[in-house]
Amino acid sequence: MTEPTVRREPPFRVPRDRADLHLFLQAALALEHLTIPPYLTAMYTLRPGTNRHAFYAIRGVVLEEMLHMTLVANLLNAVGGTPCVADPRFVTGYPALLPFSKEKVPIALRHFSVEALETFLYIERPDYVAEPPGHPSVADDDGWTSIGQFYNTIREGLVRLADELGERELFCGDPALQVGPRDFYNSGGEVLTVTDLDSALLALRVITEEGEGVSGTVFDSDDTLFGEAREPAHYFRFDEIRRQRSYGPLDTPATGPTGPAVDVRWGDAYPIDPAAKAAHYPPGSGVRLAADRFNEAYALLLCLLERAFTGEPAALQGAIPAMLELRDLAEQLYRNPHPDPARRAQGLYASPTYEVTTRHFDRARVAMPTP
Amino acid sequence: MSTAPRPATDRYDVIVAGAGLAGSLVAKQLGDQGWRVLVLEAGTRTLDTWPGTLDAMNTYYAALAKVPNAPYRPNAAAPSPDVIDVQGLPEGGFRSNGYFVQNGALPYSSDYLRATGGSALHWMGLVPRMQPEDFTVRSAYGYGRDWPIGYADLESHYRTAERMMGAAGDAAEQAEAAGTPYPTGYVYPMHPVPPTYLDRVLAARLDGKPVREAPGAEETVLRVVTTPAARNSTPNEQYDAGRGHRPDGAAGLPNYGERCVGNSSCVPICPVQAKYNPLKTQTTWSHRVTLVTHAVVSRVLANGNGHVYGVEYQQYDDPAAPVHTTRTAEADIVVLAAHSIENARLLLASGLANSSDQVGRNLMDHPTLLTWGLLDHPVGPFRGPGSTSGMENFRTGPARRDRAPFRIEIANWGWTWSAGSPGSDVARLLGMGGGSAQPRGKGLFGPRLREELGRHVGRQFTLQFAMEQDAESRNRVTLDPAHRDRLGNLRPVITYDLSDRVKRGIAAAKDVSDQIFGLIGAEDHTSYAPGPFSAGWFRFEGRDFVFQGAGHGAGTHVMGDDPATSVVDQWQRTWDHPTLYAVGCGSMPSMGTANPSLTMAAMTLRSCEQIHRDLTELHRPRTLRSAPALQVAVAIPQQEGQS
Repeated sequence: MTEPTVRREPPFRVPRDRADLHLFLQAALALEHLTIPPYLTAMYTLRPGTNRHAFYAIRGVVLEEMLHMTLVANLLNAVGGTPCVADPRFVTGYPALLPFSKEKVPIALRHFSVEALETFLYIERPDYVAEPPGHPSVADDDGWTSIGQFYNTIREGLVRLADELGERELFCGDPALQVGPRDFYNSGGEVLTVTDLDSALLALRVITEEGEGVSGTVFDSDDTLFGEAREPAHYFRFDEIRRQRSYGPLDTPATGPTGPAVDVRWGDAYPIDPAAKAAHYPPGSGVRLAADRFNEAYALLLCLLERAFTGEPAALQGAIPAMLELRDLAEQLYRNPHPDPARRAQGLYASPTYEVTTRHFDRARVAMPTP
Repeated sequence: MSTAPRPATDRYDVIVAGAGLAGSLVAKQLGDQGWRVLVLEAGTRTLDTWPGTLDAMNTYYAALAKVPNAPYRPNAAAPSPDVIDVQGLPEGGFRSNGYFVQNGALPYSSDYLRATGGSALHWMGLVPRMQPEDFTVRSAYGYGRDWPIGYADLESHYRTAERMMGAAGDAAEQAEAAGTPYPTGYVYPMHPVPPTYLDRVLAARLDGKPVREAPGAEETVLRVVTTPAARNSTPNEQYDAGRGHRPDGAAGLPNYGERCVGNSSCVPICPVQAKYNPLKTQTTWSHRVTLVTHAVVSRVLANGNGHVYGVEYQQYDDPAAPVHTTRTAEADIVVLAAHSIENARLLLASGLANSSDQVGRNLMDHPTLLTWGLLDHPVGPFRGPGSTSGMENFRTGPARRDRAPFRIEIANWGWTWSAGSPGSDVARLLGMGGGSAQPRGKGLFGPRLREELGRHVGRQFTLQFAMEQDAESRNRVTLDPAHRDRLGNLRPVITYDLSDRVKRGIAAAKDVSDQIFGLIGAEDHTSYAPGPFSAGWFRFEGRDFVFQGAGHGAGTHVMGDDPATSVVDQWQRTWDHPTLYAVGCGSMPSMGTANPSLTMAAMTLRSCEQIHRDLTELHRPRTLRSAPALQVAVAIPQQEGQS
């Protein structure tokens, strides 16, 4: 991947050629990844064994975000692009701004709390989705208004390019690069390979409907697409936690949740500083070392993902021990009071900072298991 | 379904006693075929919700002894045996507490679980098939009992069971190394669970190495092969003519447990439910299946002609309070699927199906010898399922004439089973090794404790040698009115021993183990001395051994082709009562060396076909013998008129 595409902003237009499409899909890859550190932070700041409903709900969402990343990588490979994830520029600094949105809402690494849930609800909200740029209803200088609009634009671009170039020509990628159901996956939806326009559009549908739900309902489409259990979409699973009540089978976005109460205990979480940086921890201290090791472990995870997305799909299995390592390192940090006396006095704990630098990637590449 | 008028309630087509593996499959198959099925489960159904599973996991985490029943709460109304009920004595011999009454020379130290899901909640999940010659041990090798059916009769049912339980394995490798034939091109629903690092270390040092079980015995070349398991692994796209397989995840939590993530606590509980358990089958039961829990079947009901028409059961509310209401339920067919020992107990308590005097006899298990040691470098125990690979060399062959054959499992859970690791290692290093009565020695603490533990625990491995036990009529379950449980039901009285041929198998296994330890350069820590944790201690030909129960109880309502010498026919239908079936491992005349659940499932699925035929026959519209009957009916008044 050439240098500029890693973090280059896609232009406000329907992708008009293959290079444009690569840019959009690489941006989508970064977008899907953007949500993972905040969700992991909320999940791992739960005191172990408490808030179990919330734990399994957030866990399910995080896994599906990982699925979405994989599906975007499959899309990018299918149209002849090369996914890039093992790069310091791929990991957003937090707090980040949610891209492709009208409002400038900061996405911070927050412990399990009302504020964290409200951010998540903002990320996943099913909203009025504007038409893609160029549509008569959209002015040229409007700018992006929602993630849904961004994905609609990709969809529109795929359809147009398949028409212009021919489907076979557009989907010229090597099928051996596709991550498939044979490779590890362990949650809602299914890893599907992308080889033509139909599978590409299906992948996009999974990504949007698992997040926001099928229009007018609170549920995702895992049942109709994959014959799996139907679950509330991400937005509504978060809403269940926020409102401490679950959605019943007949509930709609308009009724709100009217099902059984959900046991949520906001106090059973380790409060952290959302602006924490590794540099706040004294050099040489145990907490600083742990934060550094966490960033290196995260770099290793991204290296494994890149390997899986660029020629060796089976490498995805290596992500399981990598995630277990991350969980253990994260929990070690969260259990330590913040080393800074002022923050400690506020009851804050240390936390992983997701500052993954070139140095971490260099060390991770050395530590990579041999293929 | 029949169009005949039917009472609306308390009358079913089939009653199934037990919601474990066999009972869940019976209810699944017959419910899907349209029959109304009542499943009566003696225990609770806590585990079929996710919070229930989490509760069981917490109970397990807090348990001092991590035994198979540790996660599952005790139930006074439907007590279960526990492996820690049996305690060894200082000079040998044993004491038995708990649910079983034992009076044999050696202890039957296996357990089972009376709860929805049954013992398959805590099984290891290994599903090797039995070998074809396992079905003819009497005619081929001169011991035990032959089956009335063979491998070929079960083959298609093995495949159905492998689909329903979601088996992962390598058919080609099994066919080659274990001699189990598969149809051409057959693949398991999922690829084998990847071998662990320990498996690979052992394979590197053992594959191709010849060993002899005794000087002068025939040479066999070792090979480490993967073991089929009902555990979610990578689906095989070639399965089912290219349709592939979708793993069944956890019961009670959507989209969870679709892959094994390598927790090594398959026994006693898979924390993600990647391992098959019957709760997964229950979630797919037809609406025609009714599950009633807290319902202890106390008696099978038969009329004066021996026609079985239903069951009597005791319904209780609180598992801690021994009070109940007695109810009855009726059905055309009654299927006992309550574990081999419970099935035998029910038949004996009901005074049924025993014209052969074989009910309760032929009790078998897979007596297991453990050997354990340390390897020369860390091999990552406690990662991966309990066992992923084994050696199939000693499962059959001419030596089988003289000694029990055995299967070798490579255990990934360190010395958990053999020596209570890692808890016992922590205690020892803390200086608590010498028993509670002795003063505590000087222990290690802090980083030194951690380092030492890592150095020691990380090198642990265990080999598990599972013996085939031959059917002996002296090994049996009986009842004694003096021994009852809290609801007044008679408790199993167990008389158990090992035959000399099993003991010779154990001795041969130890000799093989010694050679394996030599080949892999392991430091042997195996020791067999009498003591509280060695209830299975015995001395044989001047050598000490300790065997363990495998939890594979079988044989107690043995299948055969002669009503005079067996309890059930080839369909697991009792010879004495055509509407009474007893399904499960209790029907097995011989067990071979394969973990028995898969074969039990295959037998059960085969029986379901016969139960369906029986029910169809019972519901077939009857044609009255109209012509002759009419003539008589018409003739009689005429005669009367004439007189």
